[in-house]
Amino acid sequence: MSVLSSEAIDSMDAPVVVKPSRNLSAYWLIAPGVLWMALFLVVPIVMIVYVSFWTQTTFKIEPILTTHSWEAFFASDTYVGALWTTIRIWLIVLFMTLLVGYPTALFVGLFIKNKTLSTALLVLCVIPFWTSFLIRVLAWRPMLGKEGAINIILQALHITSAPIDALLFTELSVIIGMTQIYCVFMVGPIAFMLGRIDPNVIEAARDLGAGFGRIFRTIILPLSMPGVVVGSIFVSVMVLGEFATASALSGRKVNMLGNIIVTQVGSLKWAFASVIGVILTILIGIVVASLLRVVDLKREL
Amino acid sequence: MQSTFIKPVLAVYTALFLVFLYGPFLVLAILSFQTGPNGGPQFPIIEWSTYWYRDIFGLTPPSRIAPLPIEESLVRSLVLAMMTMVVSTVLGVMSAQAFRTRFKGSGIAFYLIVLGMMAPGVLVGLGIALVANVLGIDRTWWGTAFVLHVVYTFPFAFLVMLAIFNRFDASVEEASWSLGVSPMRTFRKVTFPLIFPGVLSAMLFAFTLSYDEFSRTLFSSGRDLTLPLAIYGTFSIEIHPNIFAFGVLTTLFSFALLAIYAVLMTLSVRRARRLAIQEES
Repeated sequence: MSVLSSEAIDSMDAPVVVKPSRNLSAYWLIAPGVLWMALFLVVPIVMIVYVSFWTQTTFKIEPILTTHSWEAFFASDTYVGALWTTIRIWLIVLFMTLLVGYPTALFVGLFIKNKTLSTALLVLCVIPFWTSFLIRVLAWRPMLGKEGAINIILQALHITSAPIDALLFTELSVIIGMTQIYCVFMVGPIAFMLGRIDPNVIEAARDLGAGFGRIFRTIILPLSMPGVVVGSIFVSVMVLGEFATASALSGRKVNMLGNIIVTQVGSLKWAFASVIGVILTILIGIVVASLLRVVDLKREL
Repeated sequence: MQSTFIKPVLAVYTALFLVFLYGPFLVLAILSFQTGPNGGPQFPIIEWSTYWYRDIFGLTPPSRIAPLPIEESLVRSLVLAMMTMVVSTVLGVMSAQAFRTRFKGSGIAFYLIVLGMMAPGVLVGLGIALVANVLGIDRTWWGTAFVLHVVYTFPFAFLVMLAIFNRFDASVEEASWSLGVSPMRTFRKVTFPLIFPGVLSAMLFAFTLSYDEFSRTLFSSGRDLTLPLAIYGTFSIEIHPNIFAFGVLTTLFSFALLAIYAVLMTLSVRRARRLAIQEES
């Protein structure tokens, strides 16, 4: 019966419905968006590459091609140092967000069976985003400072006898701040992937006598990998392009590539800022490309 | 079973995670009630007061602490967020509509759009500043900064609408066309009401992302500051609890926005349900 009726609908479908020619109109619909992106995203990025080869004098730049700015970058310890600082902070923050985020995602995505509760927990994770980004960064100052909340609590519990100076205006404070700001981007995708695991698979493994460790290694971890990769891409792209957290929480002591761009633009050294922009673009490109190689996202999602 | 032991451990871990997530903001909220104008942005609370809240609204006598430069920048940010919201939602709906059919080059178009939300703000900001310099255009918040905001928020609107269209039942549109209704009228009368909840979400995304956008605006907005830039300006100088009070107020504003969104969402869902019931009866 059902087979018959669906066939009947199929045979009716074709002649009756006259589809407007949508293929041509698809181009008209997509054109404004693509044009906008080409003009205001692609052209500026190409411009950065181009200007990085311009000649920079003290007060202006001229479109005479030279590799001078590039040589200056690699000859300077400060700038190459900023490249290493960026890579170091990125690796540490990526690891920390994973360490902080994965167990939470595991709990929310897999252990909470109640849909309402797991949604509520995810919403709780997202609520801080309704506070301005800069305010969230700034909120770490009264936390980490010498007379800050953490030092007061540590002293009240007699864990430390004197306030710890090293908490604020160091690389540590930058890492703590970034971990808190970006860890949610890790929790979301991982929890999403974990939520899609068929509970019967875990049940079957358990019935066959597998312990939690084994189940985690052979089922949960591999199935959550696409989430880990997506989360890592989010966190990496954002951390690599960071400068505000670094300057606000390190007292301008920690300089990432983004910070150098800001100072160079501030002193109108456009060609030099462009060199760093190109290096940043290449770095992000390499990181994203290698993360995409870990898991074939198109197949997994 | 081992997992009986693992679950409570993970529950405690998640609770600690939430403390980590909310701790700084809680401290900030407490310190915003510090006494003024002599109380600093740290513990202990000398005396509880609403001084800094009054300070934001200019209700306190002038003191050595300069008031936050928010008035004009707040207006600019709101206008900019509105403009961004409208343009990126329209672009998002149009592009997502285009993606409902297979067309040549759709893969490249998809990546090009998504690149907009991935490209670091400091890079695109630098790029647009260079382009403006070369063309001799002044950098303004309603010009160069605006186009960058759309570059950033349009992909979000696009992805939201793509997800909505994925679950969209195209047969209602086909029914409309087969009755001879023009595509434009079908979109207005059939498609749009059905995707309206998605459009609302896209608008909400675009507005809040633009309103809070900082790194893209830094190089592209020129002389007149938007709100995040004005806040950033106070970073370099000494900070005072007035910025904490301001943080609490902006968060409340965001919640108000979220509440409006929730109300509109409920209304549109209820309307859709009522229409469905009418159809059935």
